[in-house]
Amino acid sequence: MADEVVRLDKVRRDYLVGDQITTALGGVDLVIERGEFVAIVGPSGSGKSTMMNLIGCLDRPSSGSVLIAGDSTNDLSDNKLTELRSRAIGFVFQQFQLLPNTTAIENVMAPLLYQGIGTKAAKKSATHMLTQLGLGDRLNFDRNRLSGGQQQRVAIARALVTSPDIVLADEPTGALDSKTGAAVIELLKELHREGRTIVLITHDLEIAASAPRRVFLRDGLVERDERGVS
Amino acid sequence: MRILGTAALALNRIWATKIRSLLTMLGVVIGVAAIVALTSIVDGASQGINKSLATLGTNQLNITAMAADSLTEQDANALAALDNVSVMFVQAQNQGTIATRESRVNARLVGVSSQYFEAVKPEIALGSYLSSSSFAATSKDVVFGADAANDLGITKDMLGTSVKLNGQDFRLVGVLDDQAGFGTSGRVYVTIDSARKLFSQYPYVSSIVIQANTPEQVDTLQIQADVLLRERYGLGSETTARYTITNQASLIAAVGTITATLGLLLTGIAAISLLVGGIGIMNIMLVSVRERTREIGVRRAIGAKQSNILTQFLIEAIVLSLAGGIVGLILGEIAAFFLAVLGDWVFSIRLDTVLLALGFSLLVGVVFGVWPARQAAKLEPIDALRFE
Repeated sequence: MADEVVRLDKVRRDYLVGDQITTALGGVDLVIERGEFVAIVGPSGSGKSTMMNLIGCLDRPSSGSVLIAGDSTNDLSDNKLTELRSRAIGFVFQQFQLLPNTTAIENVMAPLLYQGIGTKAAKKSATHMLTQLGLGDRLNFDRNRLSGGQQQRVAIARALVTSPDIVLADEPTGALDSKTGAAVIELLKELHREGRTIVLITHDLEIAASAPRRVFLRDGLVERDERGVS
Repeated sequence: MRILGTAALALNRIWATKIRSLLTMLGVVIGVAAIVALTSIVDGASQGINKSLATLGTNQLNITAMAADSLTEQDANALAALDNVSVMFVQAQNQGTIATRESRVNARLVGVSSQYFEAVKPEIALGSYLSSSSFAATSKDVVFGADAANDLGITKDMLGTSVKLNGQDFRLVGVLDDQAGFGTSGRVYVTIDSARKLFSQYPYVSSIVIQANTPEQVDTLQIQADVLLRERYGLGSETTARYTITNQASLIAAVGTITATLGLLLTGIAAISLLVGGIGIMNIMLVSVRERTREIGVRRAIGAKQSNILTQFLIEAIVLSLAGGIVGLILGEIAAFFLAVLGDWVFSIRLDTVLLALGFSLLVGVVFGVWPARQAAKLEPIDALRFE
């Protein structure tokens, strides 16, 4: 059996909006193996955000099971789910979401500090990661002094620094101009070549095309699962 | 994340919003400064009053006439014959005028019996007390209290010269240094015989002071004195007496009770302002939680546990409150120092005040920080991340 980092079995996720039950995911099966680069594609309302939340250990399914790096998220306490998230997932958000009033290196150190790693070791790893991403001369810049592309690279460094099983990127180019966005996609491809598992959530077909595997969602169901260069 | 890291985050945030943090602290600053300053006022006041009372002796009983003809020297002699009475003196006093060649002022003329100075032992500034020769029938000597001496501008070279009391010539033999005392200023002291002649009120006295051998005997002596005087005037135990007996020890205890109550009252008022300060902190922390919902979501996403978020916000509230407490303590002590200079009492920084101020501000931080911090920690990461 190949090394599965994500396994969704008959996953449903219903939300109670007012007194109405809305189904965001209506029974989805999906397996992602270690080292894959998968784009999850769909228009808004297709359920891709819900899927991101489930894969990102931010949410639990209403029914069915979600296994992340072999651990079921269904019955985990908030604390255990946080531990799993911290270990298995590196988030890259659309709006970068760097922490306010903190420098580049402090942002990258934060996930390590939350894991209980000492300041000194965290600083060393964060410096290494930022340098690898070409930000070695921007360590102590706060976010106001970084360009959009630089901020997104800080965010990617923050996602990678804990060596997670999955890098989960939610519309990572959404707030960037096309040139900078293309550079970010190149970076993700490179990370994939290095053997990392990348899950890219996007509504943009062009962006999705850069992933070797594309899962199309519509109305809470998997419509298509394409492989190969499109 | 370790607690130090979390504390650093909190400090970082407080520093990033300096003005707002300062304004938030202000309530606690004022509350703590008020507690510290008010405590010192009460302390200083009771210090002063107790000192004054203590100079009069704690084993004394003052028997004061309700009217000019209520008590006589015979009463005093009878009281002197009671057991356990060590010293007794009588006073006859009245308002009068005192004058030198240059000026003339009102003062209280106090006639005292020969034991007075030995019993009260007032500090002497110039010259001497009334001596035994002063108490010889023909002598007309006077000792001035400090205020009376100031009023008339008495100097050292005026000792032995003549001053006029109600128009009669007296020889000035001494000036007391009794400014720190209680109720002895603005007075002049003559022999009781001279006083009676000045006021023509023989054989009446205005007060009799008896002193028990030990402080423990004062209460018994008070009852004995009351019984004796009632017998002499044929008063039943229900009848209102023609005199009042004041016990110095009970007076000190009463003052203690009053200052304690006053202290409690003032501290209560200050505590209310501290409460308001705490609510201010809670309010700002709640606003802060709302403003930073996204940040909380991101922190949760990158691995912060509920406890990390709780600690971060709680420490922020505690740092705000404690910093307010420290500033308030410093301002309060400065205020207390100037009040002590003004009120002429001893300034001291009391450890219990310091601990109380810091303890209270810490408590305010915890009490009013917990709820906003729990609100922050309980946010669902997905909701927090979606929050606009």
